[in-house]
This record gives sequence, structure tokens and C-alpha cells, in this order.
Amino acid sequence: MIYADKDTEILVQGATGSQGAFHINLMNQYAKEVGGAGVVAGMTPGKGGQQVHGVPVYNTVWDAMDPHDIGASVIFVPAGGCGDAIMEAADARIPTAVVITEHIPVHDVMRAIAYAKTCGTKVIGPNCPGLLIPDTCKLGIIPTNLCRKGDIGVVSRSGTLTYEVISELSLAGFGQSGIIGIGGDPIIGQTFSDVMDVFVADDRTRAAVLIGEVGGNLEIRGAKRALSLGMPVVAYIAGISAPKEKRMGHAGAIVEGGESDAASKIERLRGLGIPVATRPSEIPLLVKEIL
Amino acid sequence: MKFREYEAKQIFREAGIPVPNSELISRAGEAAAAQARVADRVVLKAQVDVGGRGKAGGILPATDENIAEVAKELFGKTIKGLPVEQVLVEEALDIQHEYYLSITIDRSAKMPVILFSEEGGVEIETLAKEKPEALHRAFIDPCFTNVPDFIMRNVLGSAPKSIGPVINALYHVYCRTDAILAEINPLVMTPKGVIAADGKIVLDDNALVRQGISENRDLTPREAEAEKHGFSYVELGGDIGVIGNGAGLTMATLDIIAHYHGRAANFLDVGGGAGFERVARAVRLVASMPGVKVIVVNLLGGITRCDEVAHGIIDAGVPQPVIVRLAGTNEAEGRRLLEDKGYSMLDTMDKAIRAAVEVANK
Repeated sequence: MIYADKDTEILVQGATGSQGAFHINLMNQYAKEVGGAGVVAGMTPGKGGQQVHGVPVYNTVWDAMDPHDIGASVIFVPAGGCGDAIMEAADARIPTAVVITEHIPVHDVMRAIAYAKTCGTKVIGPNCPGLLIPDTCKLGIIPTNLCRKGDIGVVSRSGTLTYEVISELSLAGFGQSGIIGIGGDPIIGQTFSDVMDVFVADDRTRAAVLIGEVGGNLEIRGAKRALSLGMPVVAYIAGISAPKEKRMGHAGAIVEGGESDAASKIERLRGLGIPVATRPSEIPLLVKEIL
Repeated sequence: MKFREYEAKQIFREAGIPVPNSELISRAGEAAAAQARVADRVVLKAQVDVGGRGKAGGILPATDENIAEVAKELFGKTIKGLPVEQVLVEEALDIQHEYYLSITIDRSAKMPVILFSEEGGVEIETLAKEKPEALHRAFIDPCFTNVPDFIMRNVLGSAPKSIGPVINALYHVYCRTDAILAEINPLVMTPKGVIAADGKIVLDDNALVRQGISENRDLTPREAEAEKHGFSYVELGGDIGVIGNGAGLTMATLDIIAHYHGRAANFLDVGGGAGFERVARAVRLVASMPGVKVIVVNLLGGITRCDEVAHGIIDAGVPQPVIVRLAGTNEAEGRRLLEDKGYSMLDTMDKAIRAAVEVANK
């Protein structure tokens, strides 16, 4: 199982906002198509008793826990209150929280992720498209029309770039066992390494595609983890021509252990013996080689 | 957004971190009066956002005898391309030792990290490379409200214990200002005790609103305009304008431009589910940068409606050619609309980008 399966009952926090409502509808359309449990509850403070596309809305996460067996929460709460929403999901001991919201202040993210860890809640994101297990379940916003069922695990820091890669893989005949967007923020919950553990434990997944970006060194750690577990990996790193990161400055780069730009990441991955695509369209060719 | 030195020091002072006496001036003529109030011996420090300011001549010592000339000299300078518009007149310190202290974010540990070295004053990246063992680091659980004693002991090693309260106060500043970097380099020991001789605070741009900051002054006018509309926008200086949705896809677009030996002028990330008005605004903004010869639009997504995007591109009506790669809902309708108006829509990003590079390099 990759974080969720057909029977996972999903809660949506921030259910009555335009994004939340829109994606409850899409998630449940997919659940209907594949015969899954889908979104069974929504939550927005002060909107308890309402319905969104037929899904009952509760005032608190705990209120939703009582009548339902919630296995995962998908969070669309606006940035200012989103750290709080993650902690509320963790407090209710929901196993997995998928955080779609972007632009959450990083101090809030650090605090929420630290708290979630003490509660045993796995946080995917923030600033991520969520996860999609083809023909099984969808927790988030990944478009379902591009994927097809198969045995390649895709894990990515990006949103639309992931869709590009899925589309290339599907066209080349490589279906996916799971597609997970782990988020593009400096601080994220589940990392490439964590997801590699999940792929290895999953019966279906035969190889992984790792899609990274500039900044940090999570890609290197994830690749090493996969190698140590015997999981074949193909990588693609976006941003080889991106301007030097403006935000964190030098102290940030030092903490990350030196070079975190795309070119040095690619070099380090190749040094580990991992094939690295220079363009998304090359990924299926490299996947073919490692299988 | 970065706080300048004088702003960082004001925040330090309020948090109880000792800082030198100083006064901010914006004209050379104010220097002498400021010096008389501050100290007998002063240093004049240009308030410009560049690293290596001292080496570039942005910090000059002065006394009551030469203050007027020194101030005039400094205000006439440009430091690494930036004009000197504000100068901090600060008391000269009797320095016995220099330390490095900062608090930033560690992505792997997912926590704040304290960095401390007994060898301050040098460029920190040089120190990290040449003597990594001299840079002490310690993580702080983000749920802590104070730096625990054991972390202080681990960080300080044999350095004076009087630095401990500065570390704790800097952690409070770091949390309260939503900083991604709070740095004192150098933190100096003087006969009067420990003093922050320089200061830098970089704020989390996602927290500016709750910090009461309505405008990010580090942005160019076009970048500020883009931010107002919720676009991510960065200028690079080549001749191909780039519009994408999602940071990763936009970065991949830049990489493929480089792969085909093109040069991107700028890039704009429109975000998810862009409607026709947003697309039109994005196209106009990218086209408005001088030197943009051609624009490539690369949008992909399940919820992006291609007919909306096509209307937006047509509505923008910019003089430069616009080459489009679109995938999503109503793709055929989007193609028909664009081709009717003479735009080319290609079905893969490689093809679209190669076409744009050909136009730019013609």
C-alpha cells in the first residue's frame, strides 16, 4: 500500500472553499470510477451541518472522526491557518495528512511537522499535488487522465512537471504504481527517502522515477536510500539553468552541505550510478534501460 | 525580503542584544552632527544589500577631523553597482575577538539550526569549506520557546558563556520576525562585553503580510507587479519570454531552452487553473520586458482549460510571436482558436521550445 488504498476514507479540511469543494468533486468522481471509498467527510470551522457535493461538513476534525473511519486528510486550508490545520489532523491521529496549500510561512510548517511527528501522522507536502494510485485512489489534485496503472513509482517535488513525466511514461507504455508529489517547499514532511521505503514495501512497484529540483540535498539522500534497498531509480533534476536561489542566501546553502544546485546534484547522482535524464522526454528511455 | 543592517540592529536592540551606538543619515552634510552624538571615533557604513561590502570600500573609518570628507566620499560611491543612499554612522569598537553566529533553517533536519564559530568576521562559506570543524551547529526543536542550556553549551564549546544570552535573544528575533536567516557576523568581544557589530535578517516572503509588511522592496517593478497578481516572476536577461504553470515545469522549460542554445529573458509561473484574464495579464507582463523577442507558453494540467488560455493569449495581442504548448481540457478547441489567429500550437514541450529558440536566434 502506498499511503492509501481503495478503502481509505478521506477527510477534506477546508472543504467549503472553492478549491476544496472543486477537488472533493473530482476526487469522488474518481472514487466512483474505481469503486473506492473517496471523500467521506469535510471540515471547515463554523460550517458544520452543510454539505459539499453530498459530503457532510463538520466543525472540527474530531467531530468527523466519530462517524467515520478517517484514514487520510487532504488539506486545502488557506496559508495563514494551514499550519494549525495540519496540527489539528495530527492531534486526531489521522495516519496521513496531504497538504496542498502553498505559501505557508515556513516557521508554521516546521512547527506543524514537528508536532505531527510526535503524533505519528505522516505529512505529505505542503505545496504539493498529493498522491494518485492509478485505478485505486486519489488524494489531492493530480489529473487522472494522464496516468495508467503499472509498476513504476513516481516521486516528485513538483506538480505540473510530474504530470509531464506521467504523460511521457504512459505514452511510452510504462504505467505507474503510485504518483506522489512531496512538495516544493524548503521544509516538507515525507521526503524522497521516506517514499522510497514505501515503494520498496509495496508489492507492485518495480522501479522508481525521482523528480527533483534545485535546493537542498533530499534527492541525493533519497537516491542513496533506494540503492541501499535495491530499488532501481531513474532521476530528473529541473533547474540546471535556474538563477541561483535568491531566498536563503549563503548560510542556507552551507547548512545543506555545500552544492545544492542542479548541476552538482546531477553529477552526484550520476556518481552513484543513477541514470539522470536531461529532459523529461528522456525518462521513459532510461526507465526501459534499468528494467 | 532582507532587512538592512540598521533595521536589523534596531530589532536586535529591542530584543536585548547589545549593538554599537549609531545614527542613520541620508546626506553627507548630516555626518558631522551625527558623529558628535555617536562617538569620537566612528565608522561610516554604506547601507547596501551586497555581500563583501567592507572589501568593496563600503565601510570607512572617520574621526571628528575628517568626517565631512569621508562622508562625502562614501555617498559618492556605488558599491557593486548599488548607489549609496543611506549611511550608518556607528561608534568604532575596540575589538578583542570576532565570532560568527547565525540561525537559519536546516532542510534535512526540518528545524532551525544555530551556527556558531569562534572564527568570525570572515566569509562564512570560506570558513565552512576550509575549516568545517570550526563551525559548530545545533538544531532547535521548533516547538521550543527558548534555547535549552545543553544546546547553548554544545554550541559555545570553550567560548565565553556571556554569548549565551545573545544566542537566546537571536532565536527570539528569528521566531518573532519569521526569519529564514538571522545573522551576526561578526559578533565581537570588547572590553565592554559582547556586541553585534553587524546584523542581517532575511524574512520569509510567505510571512510578510502577518509581519505587517505590505511591499517587498527587494523586487524590480515588474516583479512587484507580478507578485501583486499572484504570479512568480523572475528576470534573467536573455531574449525568450517564458510562461509556464508550476515551478518545476517552468524550470524544466528554461533547461530545455538552454539545451537548444537559447537564452531565457524571464519566466513567469501563472499557477494553477489560470483563466483567460490571468493568462492575458501574464503574456503582457512577460512581453513588456525590453529585449523579449519571442514568448513560449508551456501549460499543462488537468484543470487548465485550453480554450480559456487561447482566448487570453489572443486577447493580450502582444507584438512578439507567441509559441504555445497546451495540454488539458478542451485542447482541440484551444488549438482551433489559436490556429485561426495564426498562432502555432505544438504538441510537446521539446518542439515548442525548439521553435521559440529558432525564432529568437534568427
